[in-house]
Amino acid sequence: MDINWLKVLGLIITPIIAFFVGVTYGGLVRNITARIQNRFGPPVYQNFWDIIKLYSKKTSIHHGWMQHLGPVFAITASITSLYFIPVLRDSVLFSNLSFSGDLIFLIYMMVFGSLGMAMGIGQTGNPNSAIGVSRGLSMMVGYEIPFVLALVSIMIQFHTTSLNDLLAVQSKFTDWIIFQSPIAFITGILAFLGMMGYKPFDVPIAPAELASGPVSEFGGKYLALMQTSRSIFTFAKLVLFTDIFLGGAGDFGTLVVKTFLLYMIPVLTGIVNPRFRTEQAIRFFWKWPTALGIIAILIVVW
Amino acid sequence: MISIPALLTLTFAAGVLVFIIHHTIPILRDVIAITAVAISGYIIWQLSGTTSSVQFSVGTFSFNWGVTQYSQLFALLVAVLSFFALLYSSAFMAKRDRLGYFYMNFLFAIGAMYGIVYSQDLISLFFFWEIMTWSSFMLTIYCCEEAQSVGLKYFVFSAIGAYSILTAIVLIYAGLDSFQLTDVFANFNSLSLGIKITVIVLLIIGFGVKSAMMPLHVWAPDAYEKSPSPFTAIFSGALSKMGIFGIGLVLFKLAAGQGFYPYVQEILAWIGGLTALFATFYAVFQTDAKKLLAYSSIGQLGYIITGLAIGTPLSISAALFLTIMHGIFKSMLFLAVGSVYYRTGTTNMNEISGLIRKMPYTFITVLFGIITVSGVPPLAGFAGKWMLYESLIQSNHYFLVVIIFFASTAAFLYLYRIIFSLFLGQEEKEIENIKEAPLRMVVPMIILSISTLVFGVFPGLLLKPISSVMKYLGDFQHPWETSVLFNNWGNLVDMNTVITSIGVIFLLALIFITIKGYKATRYVTTKDIHTSGEIPTENENLTYAVDFYKPFERALGSVLKPSVDKFFTYFGNLLEESFEHLRYIYTGNGQTYAMYVMVFLLILFMFSELIFNVAL
Amino acid sequence: MVTPNINEKDKLRIREIVENFARKHSLWVLAYGTGCGAIEIPPTMTSRYDAERFGIRGSATPRQADVLLITGYLSTKTLKRVIRTYEQMQAPKYVIGFGSCTINGGMYWDSYNTINALDRYLPVDVYINGCMPRPEAVIQGFIKLQNIIAEGKGNGAEKYQENLEWYRENQKKIIHNWQMPDYNW
Repeated sequence: MDINWLKVLGLIITPIIAFFVGVTYGGLVRNITARIQNRFGPPVYQNFWDIIKLYSKKTSIHHGWMQHLGPVFAITASITSLYFIPVLRDSVLFSNLSFSGDLIFLIYMMVFGSLGMAMGIGQTGNPNSAIGVSRGLSMMVGYEIPFVLALVSIMIQFHTTSLNDLLAVQSKFTDWIIFQSPIAFITGILAFLGMMGYKPFDVPIAPAELASGPVSEFGGKYLALMQTSRSIFTFAKLVLFTDIFLGGAGDFGTLVVKTFLLYMIPVLTGIVNPRFRTEQAIRFFWKWPTALGIIAILIVVW
Repeated sequence: MISIPALLTLTFAAGVLVFIIHHTIPILRDVIAITAVAISGYIIWQLSGTTSSVQFSVGTFSFNWGVTQYSQLFALLVAVLSFFALLYSSAFMAKRDRLGYFYMNFLFAIGAMYGIVYSQDLISLFFFWEIMTWSSFMLTIYCCEEAQSVGLKYFVFSAIGAYSILTAIVLIYAGLDSFQLTDVFANFNSLSLGIKITVIVLLIIGFGVKSAMMPLHVWAPDAYEKSPSPFTAIFSGALSKMGIFGIGLVLFKLAAGQGFYPYVQEILAWIGGLTALFATFYAVFQTDAKKLLAYSSIGQLGYIITGLAIGTPLSISAALFLTIMHGIFKSMLFLAVGSVYYRTGTTNMNEISGLIRKMPYTFITVLFGIITVSGVPPLAGFAGKWMLYESLIQSNHYFLVVIIFFASTAAFLYLYRIIFSLFLGQEEKEIENIKEAPLRMVVPMIILSISTLVFGVFPGLLLKPISSVMKYLGDFQHPWETSVLFNNWGNLVDMNTVITSIGVIFLLALIFITIKGYKATRYVTTKDIHTSGEIPTENENLTYAVDFYKPFERALGSVLKPSVDKFFTYFGNLLEESFEHLRYIYTGNGQTYAMYVMVFLLILFMFSELIFNVAL
Repeated sequence: MVTPNINEKDKLRIREIVENFARKHSLWVLAYGTGCGAIEIPPTMTSRYDAERFGIRGSATPRQADVLLITGYLSTKTLKRVIRTYEQMQAPKYVIGFGSCTINGGMYWDSYNTINALDRYLPVDVYINGCMPRPEAVIQGFIKLQNIIAEGKGNGAEKYQENLEWYRENQKKIIHNWQMPDYNW
């Protein structure tokens, strides 16, 4: 069995890079929020200190083996989703496992983490956590509809469900899918707002209302693993959207620039908006984004 | 010994035997039932690959029973599920009464299902269909007095279906003068267009009642809830597949190639999609675990009907794969809920919670069941769902994709509800003395759970018999490998890579988080939670169960107000009121009837010339 | 009940330095205002005096928090809840006594209902005096806590664990309806 050592190296390096970029983005978001609120804010590497502090906690408690497994499910889903997305185009080192899976597989893999985490949250027995999970799942039904509509319209337009083929289509700047199907892009971005979990769609977390919602009983190393998984997952989602709509990237500089610009859309919307209630959020996703998605499909079909 | 009559006589004779001896030696009753089904499974396994058939005539009817690839698939599914269900019921029903009645009807239902899939002529199909309906009706009303109205609803709908099938059979016989399936398939085209459409619609209605197609599904939630759990596993896992069996035959042998076939496909696909969507919505708001699983069954059957209706090779593989997997995981889930009922006495999700530490094997079964139903990799549900979505996208059914995806995402809601409400959450004082279910109940559940993992990583194990079935149905072909799923555009999913990456990362993360700070990690009870510094007393209720999805209900608004059940009840009441008016004629009085007869004879006598052309 | 061993005396020096550095630059304060001094917390955290520069953030549940701020007087009723909350936090954890009432009873020194010396019931790391202390004083208190952590002296949790009987005796003397479960770490 000949193992391609370059591929194994890529498999090891990619989560580490994703972790560093994701955590830095987290700190950067806190800094930008602070500047908009006319203050200085923490340094950019603040989230690293948070994660190291959480790992260095001396005690931790759990309510059962399912809670112990919850963050493990989350990080499995994050890293596996990252593996099936081509991080850089035409790169042997970083294409990982993207030739063995396609978009529909990715949609389901991204749900695996939330499902496992929801089980772990369930065992804690805190009613706040249960309310948070029920709201989070209800909202997921909301934003998945425009997300799937956008992806289906692109899949039909280019007759493929594989990300590598979509990257191959977008070889020139003017061939980017954001220009070829702008309505699909707008639908996708509106669904992306829901996926990222910033305001106005952060009702599952709702710190002041639900005592931080689902993760209210996680502390110490469990919370650290969950934050790690969250950072990697943010990076994975950003790279997914960049690959579908913005033409992917050939080297890390372009990738960082594109993902950062894409990330600013939910963050900046989140800083200046209040929070929707759950049914308002669900109805929002079922109105205009769904209508735009249906229009996107109709444009492709006719 | 290895032949179809032997199979059927074995099962039916075992049923009668159990009924006769059930008072004398209890253990023998269980042993006879289980060994009968085991031997029947062996016989079916030996029959595969052969084309053994048997013909005999009774009077002017000639019966024909034969083996085809299509029948083997369903028969094996029935045999395996029945074996596990009977093993489970030997422990579950141990302290109940009228067990001879239970086992006899159970074995008759199994035997009737074998008869349906092996019959090659329409009369035996109908004959075994009726036996299956009758025996499942007897088991629906087994438990208690309240189950009788539920059983009546089931029987009325099954009667509607059965009469539709009978009318269709009569129409076919009138046109083609033969009951044999081979003749019917070959000469169906020679009927007139009106007859063809009527026959196909009637057959779809008849088979659709059993597979709970909307709007004929209203018997299913109550019937599944009231029947005893081991039988519900068969009821939902195997009996509903008989309807799918019939619909498959109708679509691919009778309707294919006709001019109106695209219309049939479109209508049936949309019915399947809407069934899935609305059944899922109803399932989200249930409070009883068995009713929730019943609505979930209706939804999954909607997926299967859509897959069959689309008609491309990929979608037929998806539908047949989902058929087998639905049988496995629905039985698993009903058996698990049954063991919860066995230990606690209730399946109401608002009353129990926190069973994970007391019943860990049942929890693992439900966990595997949930991951399979939701379609998340690496378990088997993903393969079926993936193939279904790909086939929908590639056959230009765009909006149906969105509806099916909507239903699939909403499925997460009720799946989380059932595992959270029963197993996770607060551990109240009432569950102090609950133990795990007995071994005979745990073993079938665990074996079925492991099989979902095996079929998830190696979907080719199921795709192999499915491809031979597709050849029989209409010479469809689709590429497959043991661990790789393909679609028509050349994209693939390699399950080997998936399971390797998931497994390795899972193990590494688990080892990491268990070892880190091992000595300083400790377990606390679920009463030690953040309640703002307060200490919850013993009878303080911290369980979040009632109105679990109120925000979703508010978001849906008035979509769920119209209900098919209410429509049928209203229609039934309307008929009953109009029948009250008929009471003026059918008075129930013997003398009135005698007067009617006299008047009729008088009329005949007086107008005999006009009527009979003969003078009296 | 197994007592977790949180005395880590034989750690690598470099690891200890890095961990203390991380702990001091990321202090999560439990969002719990126990007394009237809590009115000075919002100005400290918001734009004008911006405590987030130092990594100080609010946290919603005690499972995730590091610092417990006792802001002002503590009635005996609140003391019971504060003790329960303190025990639900994960080590290492720090207590900051905020305001003169925690030092010697302050304005309510002769009340029948409040406590006079916080040090008898919880291990306190830093006191900030004033009635109430201004946000600049609060930030100075946090910087003092950071220095204590950097020197490796922020071990209130170990102190509580070792002298548990003494703390319990004092707590039970003043809280009359002691219906709490046994010490669960």
